[in-house]
Amino acid sequence: MNGNKDDTSSKIGMWLFILSEIILFGGLFILYAVYRFKNPSAFHLAAEELNRPFGTINTLILITSSLTMALSISCVQKGNRRSSLVFLLATLLLGFVFLANKYFEWAGKIHHEIYPDSPRLLERNKGEILFYGLYYSMTGLHGLHVLVGLGVLLFMGILITKRKIDETNFAPLENSGLYWHLVDIIWIFLFPLFYLIP
Amino acid sequence: MPSEISGEVRPEASFFKSKGRFHGIPGWIFSTDHKRIGILYLISILLFFFTGVSLGFLMRLELIAPGPTIMKPQTYNALFTLHGVIMIFLFVIPGIPSIFGNFFMPIQIGARDVAFPRINLLSWWIYIVGAALVILSLFTGGGPVDTGWTFYVPYSLRTTVNVPLAVFGVFILGFSSILTGINFVTTIHRLRSPGMNWFRLPLFVWSLYATAWVQILVTPVVGITLLLTLLERLVGVGIFDPAKGGDPILYQHLFWIYSHPAVYIMILPAMGVISEIIPVFARRTIFGYKAIAFSSLAIASVGSLVWGHHMFVSGQSDLASLIFSLLTFLVAVPSAIKVFNWVATLYKGSIEVKPPLLFGLTFIFLFSIGGLTGLFQGALATDVHLHDTYWVVGHFHYIIFGGTGFALFGALHYWFPKMFGKMVQNTIPYLSWGFLFVGFNILYFPMLILGWEGMPRRYYDYLAQFHTLQLTSTIGSWILIAGLILMFGNLFYSLLKGERAGENPWGSATLEWQIPSPPPKENFEKIPVVKKGPYEYERE
Amino acid sequence: MEKNKEEKFSFLDHRTYVLVWLVLIALTGITVSVAGMNLGRWSISIALVIAAIKSGFVLNYFMHLKYEKGIRLFKWMIPGILALLVLLIGLTFFDVAFR
Repeated sequence: MNGNKDDTSSKIGMWLFILSEIILFGGLFILYAVYRFKNPSAFHLAAEELNRPFGTINTLILITSSLTMALSISCVQKGNRRSSLVFLLATLLLGFVFLANKYFEWAGKIHHEIYPDSPRLLERNKGEILFYGLYYSMTGLHGLHVLVGLGVLLFMGILITKRKIDETNFAPLENSGLYWHLVDIIWIFLFPLFYLIP
Repeated sequence: MPSEISGEVRPEASFFKSKGRFHGIPGWIFSTDHKRIGILYLISILLFFFTGVSLGFLMRLELIAPGPTIMKPQTYNALFTLHGVIMIFLFVIPGIPSIFGNFFMPIQIGARDVAFPRINLLSWWIYIVGAALVILSLFTGGGPVDTGWTFYVPYSLRTTVNVPLAVFGVFILGFSSILTGINFVTTIHRLRSPGMNWFRLPLFVWSLYATAWVQILVTPVVGITLLLTLLERLVGVGIFDPAKGGDPILYQHLFWIYSHPAVYIMILPAMGVISEIIPVFARRTIFGYKAIAFSSLAIASVGSLVWGHHMFVSGQSDLASLIFSLLTFLVAVPSAIKVFNWVATLYKGSIEVKPPLLFGLTFIFLFSIGGLTGLFQGALATDVHLHDTYWVVGHFHYIIFGGTGFALFGALHYWFPKMFGKMVQNTIPYLSWGFLFVGFNILYFPMLILGWEGMPRRYYDYLAQFHTLQLTSTIGSWILIAGLILMFGNLFYSLLKGERAGENPWGSATLEWQIPSPPPKENFEKIPVVKKGPYEYERE
Repeated sequence: MEKNKEEKFSFLDHRTYVLVWLVLIALTGITVSVAGMNLGRWSISIALVIAAIKSGFVLNYFMHLKYEKGIRLFKWMIPGILALLVLLIGLTFFDVAFR
């Protein structure tokens, strides 16, 4: 039954899904707001241990990946298959580097025995324990979303290669782009909340 | 004629018979036809309903007398937890939207299917997987969950039963709800047939629309809450653990931010069903169409801001309690508007109390009792005494069972001819209604009194002074169950042996009654052009 | 494949995208430098405002929201979700901040 295939409908569906994702992270932001309110100096202390330049670079990486994503879609819309694949590849690469950085950050912390329920962490101030609980949960959930996004974009790349996505049919790529931009926006908020507490 | 269908109606094979890529059972469980998916939900949801009823039956047996009767305390805790989890997450929340919303909403708006038929099928599959995980948790890990369906921390973090799997199952179920919500909002915006503007939509569709928004927007909150509970048990993040600086009351906030609006997911579609049934059997147009439509939106929005009324005695601030109490009183208003408008529709109508209307009227009566008892809980001073007593158990059973449950029974009787092409045998429903109504009140009214007298809920044992009412309540459960057996037995019998149903046995004006019973796969020969509202009946 | 009649999509040319990207880089730079200054209780509000502005650019240009004129729904979704989050956090704070 083909009568209901409609690009605008699928775009609306994707936006509605995005709204639900915003609320998913919103729940964590509620927790963050409350715990930071109650433990301001502990949060500041803990945030100082995070690597600010690393976090900034990761932010720039995601922002740039959003650019390459938008350019990739734009190229498909113009019928420029080759360029669109190049930009999509760039997005994938940038996303991958983001995740690699995250891995190194986490590995560093874990190496210093700062992870949920570690004896070292439990010795600290309660506010710091909460900070790291939120840090791992929120960046972890975000990282999971980046990973899924990479999978989706890889699949889109295959569709473009097989010409299943082209200038007459690009809604799947557009909608994947919306998801990717959402992942970027979430990080845009996570970055100052975890790395830039003055 | 309320709408014109351009072109002739040729007899087409019903959706039961039409052939797709697969045949037999695969033809059903891999079907993207919204009607088949509605039937799939009907079967699975009713199965879980019967399971939930059986659990309730066993609970009532245990409570027939003080002290141990047929089980140990741990078993009782597991039973009431499972009864809640199954009834709420596997029966009432998906209930009316997934069965009747899926089956009828597209037809009522003049469409051939929902906006995303494959996602619709995925929703059902996710529902089955989530349910399977919950069932699996009964037999694995530390055994069945005993925390109550609310999974409150700190107990849910410490009890040795299989909280992780159960909670993960519920988490998965949430996706089914969200995807259904996305599907319905998009469908209602995009697939209305020509002439079907917003204010010609049946009120059932309006109720599904408001419900769908709630499903999309608040389900993720319980998703993250359960995920965090899972994480807490698996790796000890500490977010709700006071030893690590966490606040258990925040768990309650996050839990109820979803679970309160969830009760509106439960009741709004039921109210939509009532708005469908009353005009048909009163032969009058609905009184105050716009008021009812907007009240659904009002209930959904204001209802998302009252969750703290579950937490008046939790330790939250007095200021918060005051504000939540005020908002709670406000949200009663749009519900009351609906009740007034339904009654006004009946006034001077040409009323025929056929089974659908009988269940509809019962809804109004039982829901009103439930709603009024809610006001006692919404007031801070009285809630201090009533919180966590049997009063609350009575309250929510009146609303959810007396409300949504009876609306679902009404919907079954109303739409049965359309779904199955057979008429329901028409005397048994009155008899089964009698058992149901009497049994229901004998089962649940004593709970209001017990709670008022101070008996706590979720208690395995109780003082001798509560015995008479508990015994009465258990007897009520037997009468109720007899009614259920009669009712479902009759429906099943009618499925096999009922008279052939025509297109429109009730003389209803909405679009689903203008096509064959059962509908053909594509619903309409030609997409209808709508020129009038959904409840235009001639005055007699 | 049906083409949608009501949506005339406009290409955003690559120049616009690159400009938006530069704005985002600049705003990131501002966020980081502001964090270094001692602004006391204003610092979180400023950080959130800048994050919101950056998100606004991503939403309107990269996600094309500014150009989705046909669908009324899109205009209200983001303000709506923001209002919801504010209400949820606000009501929770009526508890947490006043115990």
